[in-house]
Amino acid sequence: MPNATDPLHDNAFMEAFLNLVIPPDEDRRMPGAGSLGLGAAVAAAVETDSLLGHAVVTGLRAVRDAAVARDPAGLPGLTREARLEVLEGVLAHHPAFMTGVARHLYPAYYQHPRVLEALGEPARAPFPEGFQIEPTDAALMAKLLARRK
Amino acid sequence: MGTSVLCLEQGPWMHQKDYPTNFLDWESRAMGPFASNPNVRRLAQDYPVNDSASPIQPLMFNAVGGSTILWAAHFPRFTPGDFRVKSTDGVADDWPIGYQTLEPFYATNDRMMGVAGLAGDPAYPYHEPPMAPLPLGATGNIVASGFEKLGWHWWPSDSAIASRDYEGRAACINLGPCTSACSQGAKASTDITYWPVAQRKGVQLRTGCRVKEITVRADGMADGVLYYDQDGVLQEQKAEIVVLACNGIGTPRLLLNSKSPQHPDGLANSSGLVGKNLMFHPYALIRGIFDEPLNGRRGPGGCTVWSHEFYKSDPSRGFIRGYSYEGTRGAGPAQEALWGMAAGLVPWGEGHHEAYARLHGHIAGMVAITEDLPEETNTVTLDPELTDSNGVPAPKVTYTLSENSKKMLAHAVERGKEALSAAGAVETWAEPLLRPAGWHLMGTARMGTDTARSVVNEWGRAHDVKNLFIIDGSIFVTSAGVNPTSTIQALALYIADRIKQNIGNLFD
Repeated sequence: MPNATDPLHDNAFMEAFLNLVIPPDEDRRMPGAGSLGLGAAVAAAVETDSLLGHAVVTGLRAVRDAAVARDPAGLPGLTREARLEVLEGVLAHHPAFMTGVARHLYPAYYQHPRVLEALGEPARAPFPEGFQIEPTDAALMAKLLARRK
Repeated sequence: MGTSVLCLEQGPWMHQKDYPTNFLDWESRAMGPFASNPNVRRLAQDYPVNDSASPIQPLMFNAVGGSTILWAAHFPRFTPGDFRVKSTDGVADDWPIGYQTLEPFYATNDRMMGVAGLAGDPAYPYHEPPMAPLPLGATGNIVASGFEKLGWHWWPSDSAIASRDYEGRAACINLGPCTSACSQGAKASTDITYWPVAQRKGVQLRTGCRVKEITVRADGMADGVLYYDQDGVLQEQKAEIVVLACNGIGTPRLLLNSKSPQHPDGLANSSGLVGKNLMFHPYALIRGIFDEPLNGRRGPGGCTVWSHEFYKSDPSRGFIRGYSYEGTRGAGPAQEALWGMAAGLVPWGEGHHEAYARLHGHIAGMVAITEDLPEETNTVTLDPELTDSNGVPAPKVTYTLSENSKKMLAHAVERGKEALSAAGAVETWAEPLLRPAGWHLMGTARMGTDTARSVVNEWGRAHDVKNLFIIDGSIFVTSAGVNPTSTIQALALYIADRIKQNIGNLFD
């Protein structure tokens, strides 16, 4: 049964919803955001967002209600196409909703080790190893030095 | 016998082990407890700023080291012409001092902060940074190539970042986000540059102390401060000389909070100019997407190259004065996604990954730092309701972007896109006015020789209170079109030297 009052903590709903926002991409080995279990991280961030948090919760509730109106199992029970129809219908009336979702979902997603590895980024803190960067282009530098004061 | 110096700092000592780049979720930490905006950060040592009447949000950091903890360390000096815009352009006012007066203090400061750069920039009088320049990396190379193809001025940035081991600091290892503090300690911040030296010389530092007001004697001279200690207990500290270094918002706030029968409009405010003439640097941000991988999050984010191609007035451009470009790198994976979302380039749902892949590691760009001219209607006042956690009235910023600035920003966006296209960008976009960009807070207690038109004299002493000195950006007369920290610090050294030289007749 879906959590009747709080869509942020309705795990099945959040997994289905977040997989709509960032779906899996097999070709790029990118996981879906819902499949990574990011619901709790997003919920925690939304609950402390005084600017956009209310818009996100209101939008989520509208998505869940619209989904349940189509199928008692709610969003997880719908086909992908039906889920998208529900979400797009809600977005027409909640313009700030997706901005708020992305504001919290994108950082959670793009700092997840599996995502970083799929991007070819090292899944580690920058410090202490740091990074190498490319040297200054010697040809450019030669031109510059010719103009040196 | 030396001078007894005590510094009251409202923030704590910071520790490099706590900085975001020690952690996998460094991007989230940079947007939270290490955000530049005190209204976002909301740490105990922060005070709120009402910025609802400003298109630019003021940014700052409250700790030992202040905003140098979070700055980019891009370290240009002002040019000689920046000190005399009234003479050359007929606007604002000339400074009462010039580049030559500050030059030895710029040089001392470069050594103290540890500056990497390349001598010989034709935009400046000759000076030699103590360290070799930082490598440009792929992003710096590509932005420089665009400037070069158009025949524009460009030069590797002077950067207050160690390109080699320097004075106990380890060389930069390209962690990336300098603006969320440097875990390596390669970036200069005054907690690791000036403070260890000052403490060895006997300067005392009390942290967690928030000054409520400056107190005065019957004759109107300053005699100390009232401050809240870290337990919230009001304390009194007497002093023969009071020196303020609270930034262009904190300083007028404190002066306006220091009303007395002798100074009913706030301390040092007989001119009525305390809190007026607030200058930011309105910023435009221009970015390009390139086909080649740039690894843009690696390396100091704001320290590649600068260009002064549009720095001086040219009547054909339709605005007075000008701006500099500062090359910028990319960002971490999460920030790239947020940039892409804000620019409408990374959608949710189908197409998300394809769109993101175009951006990830393929972004380079620049910011334009436009010279903001002083206007008395741009102000810092006391908010009638908002206070800090000690109940001290908080500042309110009222700021309108001038028509001159709007024209300058529009020009900078178009020419910046041109440069990125010349460099090979397949797509460009811009934010023509960056809202979270009030890093530079200037002009609210301006320097001058006319007591009716300025707050402090030509060496930082308040006209009205001869034992009160101001050494931060609030004493700037004009803003130039470059980052101000090098000049703020050179001014602070110059004023300290003037105090020392004039100690025998300091209050005459």
